Amino acid sequence: MTRSQLLLRLLFKAAWVRKDRALTALISVAVVATIATAALTIYSDLEGKLSREFRGFGANVLVTRASGILSADQLAGIRKIIGGNGEVVPVAYAIATETASGARIVVGGADVIKLRRLNTSWSLSESGPGNALIGSRVDETIAHGTDLHLSFGKASAVIKAAGVFHSGSDDDSRIYLPLDDFVSLTGVQPNTALVRVEGRPQEIQAAISSLRTALPEADVQPVRQITQAQTAVVGKTRSVVLASSAVVVVLIMLCMAATFTSSVLERRRDFAVMKALGASNRTVSFLFASESALLALAGSAVGYVLGSGIAFWIGKANFDAAILPQPALLLPVLLGSVILALIASTAPLRLLQQIQPAGILRGE
Amino acid sequence: MFLRLLFESFRRQKRRKSVALLAIALGMSIATAMIAVGTDIGDKINQELRSLGANLVITPIEDTLDVNIGGVNLKPASEGSFIPEQELIKIKGIFWGHNVKGYAPFLSAPQVIKTASGDVKAELIGTYFAQPLHYGNEEFSTGVRSVNPWWKVEGEWPQDYAAWPQNQPPDVLAGSKLAQESHISVGDQIEIGGRKLRVSGILNSGGAEDQAVVAPLHIVQTVLDQPNAVRRVTVSALTKPEDAFARKDPETLTGAIRDRWYCSPYANSIAYQIREVLPNVRVEQIRQVEQNQGKVLSRVSGLMLLLTLAALLAAALAVSAAMAATILERRQEVGLMKSLGAGNTAVASLFLTEAGFLALAGGLIGFLAGAALAHRIGQSIFGSSIEVHPVVLAVVLCAAVLVTFIGSAGAVRKAMRFDPAVVLRGDA
Repeated sequence: MTRSQLLLRLLFKAAWVRKDRALTALISVAVVATIATAALTIYSDLEGKLSREFRGFGANVLVTRASGILSADQLAGIRKIIGGNGEVVPVAYAIATETASGARIVVGGADVIKLRRLNTSWSLSESGPGNALIGSRVDETIAHGTDLHLSFGKASAVIKAAGVFHSGSDDDSRIYLPLDDFVSLTGVQPNTALVRVEGRPQEIQAAISSLRTALPEADVQPVRQITQAQTAVVGKTRSVVLASSAVVVVLIMLCMAATFTSSVLERRRDFAVMKALGASNRTVSFLFASESALLALAGSAVGYVLGSGIAFWIGKANFDAAILPQPALLLPVLLGSVILALIASTAPLRLLQQIQPAGILRGE
Repeated sequence: MFLRLLFESFRRQKRRKSVALLAIALGMSIATAMIAVGTDIGDKINQELRSLGANLVITPIEDTLDVNIGGVNLKPASEGSFIPEQELIKIKGIFWGHNVKGYAPFLSAPQVIKTASGDVKAELIGTYFAQPLHYGNEEFSTGVRSVNPWWKVEGEWPQDYAAWPQNQPPDVLAGSKLAQESHISVGDQIEIGGRKLRVSGILNSGGAEDQAVVAPLHIVQTVLDQPNAVRRVTVSALTKPEDAFARKDPETLTGAIRDRWYCSPYANSIAYQIREVLPNVRVEQIRQVEQNQGKVLSRVSGLMLLLTLAALLAAALAVSAAMAATILERRQEVGLMKSLGAGNTAVASLFLTEAGFLALAGGLIGFLAGAALAHRIGQSIFGSSIEVHPVVLAVVLCAAVLVTFIGSAGAVRKAMRFDPAVVLRGDA
């Protein structure tokens, strides 16, 4: 039997003869690797996932031209900057007079479908076959569910409602018409664009800067209350997840190290027998270390798979979108576990080396 | 005899016991910290979400439509109706008054502003900045500084004057765009309606206020000659995310169901309670804020809940494994006891009692350490501490006993299955 065959046999037998001991060690490593993988995977994708939840807040950037209009080229430029996930809704405003009461109403022209998609928080009651969105206060004080007769200076029109919306903002005092109808009635072209940039806080900031450079003649303003709340909530949640994961991972690592160390100390008899049979300190340390390293490698591989699975499931359950495994984490998790196991298992050997094998065998 | 065995086991196996104790304490501090953070995260994030500003708006029911384009108000100041300012304090007296974090009244009208570089037409907005108020015995201050936390001021915030100051012109804020266009800087004097005002700061709000002059409410009431008048009030309240029950009309509910609706801090029930104390107003949710913050809140709380569960499971497994590891090494002891005539019950009860003591001690240490950790996390991230409810101690102790029993029981049973003679010979 060669040396390496003997080593393999010793390693294999040690694990096989005391399966329960090997199993508890394997479980503790796997638990550490699982929780570390899950926490890190979630943390790495959290900013993106949480930022998506802010899309419901509607426009987070306003582009306006105080004088002049936003041309088709400029709108196309905005679309290009914010990418496929964002939304751009050009809006034009004018004041109309209701013919019966003489009340003045702000009328907006916009792509009504896009406007609804942008403001998902509005509650909309479908009420008619028309094509206008009527603000709730307009409906309450003037329209009362009937058609509106509006005069726009030269032109006048009968506005039929498609629905009445509640927003809780100034929009409740407004009416929105499809842009084409609006332009043919008033001749006013859009000078404002409601823009929703999707992404992480820093991506939104970058988009705002590029919008400012691309449209020097327009005023680009972030809706600060939304961008600021997003930054605060996303940042603090990330910190909490990081801090609590760090606490969990560090404590559970200590827990695992304690288990490992104590089980090595319990094997002082094995240690003494090997020494008595003539093994050097180095050989014994090597044997113990390679045993722990193999266990840690197997345990952390299991843990990586389990942890990625947990992160995937948490993403599905909580964000309705899977959090995908991070292959980049595999190596750090494996290496970390192996190093930890090596430290935890070889440190106690130093203690044992100070005792004579005979003493241990006698039971001292 | 039993007690002696127990006592000696602790005395003679200090190292083994301290490893087990350490493992339990570590596991239980994970549990305590995660439970504390996980249960408190909702409140903490809800507070953070208040940086979205108000979630309810109060307007007079008889009011005419707002005529407002791009932040320019075209509605005459005299038109429409108002809410009496002195009634507003009643908002604090509603059932959920404690959840009302603040409110800000507004009164505004377009005015001609005389500046050093000429006349300019701009909106004059009156509001509270941090108006001190008292309701009953409670002292608090409210205004835009807390309700609209995204408002940034370069210079000084004005004070909230109770009346027009005698000696010097009152302080106001100039919006950043207005200041830029009309060359107003901090310390300049402006004149509105023949009255002198001093610009104490430049306001950057990112909204329509950037083109306006924002002044203390009582100053604007004096300028516009509309004492006690408020056009609009925004209210920032801590609310529970809306669900199907929240959308029910309280008038259709009766008895206990209505009470449950009324006593839940939904935006709708808070709005209903405000309507009860302020007659002739409409109270609307600011839907953009109210509808979405609940979603964000539930995502964050849900995430922490799942993470807490995962951490608890991991801690339980780690503690069980540690307990199993220490007991598995004691099969010689089991063999010795059995060969001296001890029954399985006697051996099991000795080991489980030991485990129970370890669990209680470890649970207590872990609870204290975990509470300290949670406190630190709260302080460093949210600037406010995360309190650990005493109930968590009971939960943690029970969990510690349960987990150590589960970990020990399997190992003890395994150790007892061996023939004592084989174990003692060292062949097992």
